Amino acid sequence: MTELQAEQGAPALDVPRTEAKPRRNRDVVIALAVFVVLALLPMVFSSKLLLDFVIRCAAYGLFATSLNLLVGYTGLTSFGHGMFFGLGAYGFGLMMQKTGVPIPVAFVATLAITFVVALVIGAICVRLKEIYFAFVTLAFQMLIHSTILSWVSLTGGDQGLRGGIPRPPFWGIDLSNHLHLYVASCALLVIGLFLMHQIAQSPFGYTLRMIRDNATRASFIGIDVWRAKLTIFVLAALFASTGGVIMALFVSGAYPEFAYWTISGEGIFINMLGGVTTFLGPMVGTVLLLILNDTVTRLTEYHGIVLGIVILFFAIGLRKGLMDFVVEWYARRRAGTGERS
Amino acid sequence: MDLDALTGCLASSACLVTQTTSGFIIGMLLFLVAVGLTLIFGVLKVVNFSHGAFYMFGAYFAMTAYQLTGSFALAMLCGATGTALLGLIFERVFMSRVYGSDVLMQLLVCYAFVLIFDDVVRMIWGPEFKSMGMPAAFQVAPLFIAGGVVPPYYLLLIGVALAAAVILGLGLARTRLGKVIRAAAHNPGMVSALGINTGLIYGGVFALGGMLAGLAGALAAPVRSLTPGMGFSVLIESFIVTVIGGMGSILGALIGALLIGMIRSFGSLGFPLFTEGLMYLFMVIVLVSRPTGLFGKEVA
Amino acid sequence: MLEIRSLSKAFGGVKATDNVTLDFADGSLTAVIGPNGAGKSTFFNLITGALRPDSGQILLNGVDMAGRSPPEIVRYGIGRAFQVASIFPSLTVEETMLAAVCADQRRASVLHRRFPLAETRDRAEHAMELLGLAVKRNRIAATLSHGDQKLLDIALALVLDPKVLLLDEPTAGMGTEERWRMIDKVRELWEKQKITVVFIEHDMDIVFKIAPEIVVLCYGRILATGTPDAIRRNEAVIEAYLGTEHHAGAAI
Repeated sequence: MTELQAEQGAPALDVPRTEAKPRRNRDVVIALAVFVVLALLPMVFSSKLLLDFVIRCAAYGLFATSLNLLVGYTGLTSFGHGMFFGLGAYGFGLMMQKTGVPIPVAFVATLAITFVVALVIGAICVRLKEIYFAFVTLAFQMLIHSTILSWVSLTGGDQGLRGGIPRPPFWGIDLSNHLHLYVASCALLVIGLFLMHQIAQSPFGYTLRMIRDNATRASFIGIDVWRAKLTIFVLAALFASTGGVIMALFVSGAYPEFAYWTISGEGIFINMLGGVTTFLGPMVGTVLLLILNDTVTRLTEYHGIVLGIVILFFAIGLRKGLMDFVVEWYARRRAGTGERS
Repeated sequence: MDLDALTGCLASSACLVTQTTSGFIIGMLLFLVAVGLTLIFGVLKVVNFSHGAFYMFGAYFAMTAYQLTGSFALAMLCGATGTALLGLIFERVFMSRVYGSDVLMQLLVCYAFVLIFDDVVRMIWGPEFKSMGMPAAFQVAPLFIAGGVVPPYYLLLIGVALAAAVILGLGLARTRLGKVIRAAAHNPGMVSALGINTGLIYGGVFALGGMLAGLAGALAAPVRSLTPGMGFSVLIESFIVTVIGGMGSILGALIGALLIGMIRSFGSLGFPLFTEGLMYLFMVIVLVSRPTGLFGKEVA
Repeated sequence: MLEIRSLSKAFGGVKATDNVTLDFADGSLTAVIGPNGAGKSTFFNLITGALRPDSGQILLNGVDMAGRSPPEIVRYGIGRAFQVASIFPSLTVEETMLAAVCADQRRASVLHRRFPLAETRDRAEHAMELLGLAVKRNRIAATLSHGDQKLLDIALALVLDPKVLLLDEPTAGMGTEERWRMIDKVRELWEKQKITVVFIEHDMDIVFKIAPEIVVLCYGRILATGTPDAIRRNEAVIEAYLGTEHHAGAAI
């Protein structure tokens, strides 16, 4: 565009990012409200199918949103983020099966293990350039997957963790009760999203954006790029791991598929479906993908073709996620300039 | 882990020969697939995550051609040319639309096609395991070298693959077309400005890569069972090969493929469940110490 | 303030910077000129740490910068704006400034508070106002005009409170009208902030009108330094420019 057009306010290039106003209180209120609505849902709809759907959304949603922190906010294209989902599931499952610790302890311990693994892997990978970072994260994920498959005595190999996951009640909560599991999953989801949103809207979150846009200049400003990348890599891993824990509780076990590269692929697809420029894009994408999966597998045995065509439609046709469209439409309605509120 | 089996084999020349030959054919088949992958990356700067599908189609085309005509040569031809055509169409119609986009987008498009192709195969040929069977010409007694068993068909396989490698290497280095392709890899804008149709080149490279993978599939058809998922494990392994060897390097693909072939062959003796783990471990080590691979060049 | 001592850098056989010794006085405004390939950008790259000198010293208030990393050099107080504006396309002007100040205050890793931090507002505001970008604070950087992006680039360097500001061809890619506006802005900045400013420039009319001090580089060596008048009369300079730049001739 010419300078004149720019002065007069040409429409925004690319996809505008709507950042939430920096008011944490508003987020807290929203989080509480959403949690209450979700928790009360079973009273209105007593369908087990719906509750199951929400629990799965919680698991995948946390995973996909954490992936967006890496890909969308920092520009770190990880092909192996699924390894932490699997690690969370197996870590938690094994801990509950082998040791008699209470669930909260096992949960924290799982996060601790994920922290260490992510720290080591991240320290090795994060300095690599984009596509090599993608490759090596994939390699690490498949390495972990192979280890899970071959360490039969510990993990049950390709059969997965058998025998269910013991759920001793804690704090009056009994996770073998489906309703309790449902509410706990919703709580974890809401808390997880709130924390991730806080990260995204903190000064650190803007540091990540600077790294994504222009890592060299960011470094000139005095930002330690390597350390920032490592930090978000580890933080994202923790949330992905939490998703894995929810999944393990849901299926009462852990399976090698939870660490397979397809989980990472689905995470990327979810982000693509929902859009990476908004915080809630991945959440929307999760809901869309799960609905898509469920519908397609019910209608036809050839879900590969249908899913493939849908992916093509989004990747080649739309090139944007759902939330991206929403945001653009909204922005165009408001002003039609390159402005942000 | 079964280290005794491994050391035992290394001590026996018979086992050594058998395993080495086995490693060789795995390696040569992988090479054919991987070299297509590395070429496509080198020239088009795209990682073709659906490359395994060409391998799969090559095998299925060959099997069907053999069942219809009974001619092994024709089966090989069908396998190779069918996939060449597929590669050309795939590139022109779909891949060309995502060249500018980032690698996530390319990954998604290829992933979509993996899903689609697998189901297409399932629809046309059915989900069960199929086999082509060894053509009569090769149903001869195996050779015994130092006590080890070497089916003659393996020798043919290795021969064809090596021939392909040599032709490819020489073709790229010596012929004018080869030079044009290499130029297009470095500076497509310039090549286009010189009046050469880069679209044709891109399509051609993709067709070539597809053909090589299809040839591998066709060659493998007599000795492997065919199933809709067969493209996938080949893809993963050839991906490891190209990364280890270096994206864009044909020599790297050869060396990498042989390495992986040997790891698979001997590794499955000593680490029957962790064989793939060994490959990923190797991949991690290479990527961390030399991200561009053993023979790779820095990608802009 | 900034003393360059025997700075040298060679690429293969080519001496990009050849034994350069210069002094930039505190609060001075200097233009670095020279024909293409004279080594002006290399000179800047050496000072800012993008390149490592083969030999020589870069003394900022007595402390040697040679061999240090670019972020370190920035912390010591050498700021740089780039020939091609190096900004953050998806951030707004205001966000860019606030984030930069945040980073400078070593608060770039703060997780528990919300962006922007209150203590970053003043400096960010000041920098935006200096460059005339305050009115465009909510524009996304990618949508700014080329000239505004260069201003943002300068603001990004300025907001870190540098002692020395290096501007790499601030008027590159602009039409004549815009060039004068930009260079006026640069001069205005220099007068207000009282920092040492060095800028690379190709437009001789601008250089001779604006800069109190001029350094002429040629083949990596200093051809001449001095006031515009002195440079205009310098025989070596005239010879270097004759046939390639008619401005020098016109100036005589």
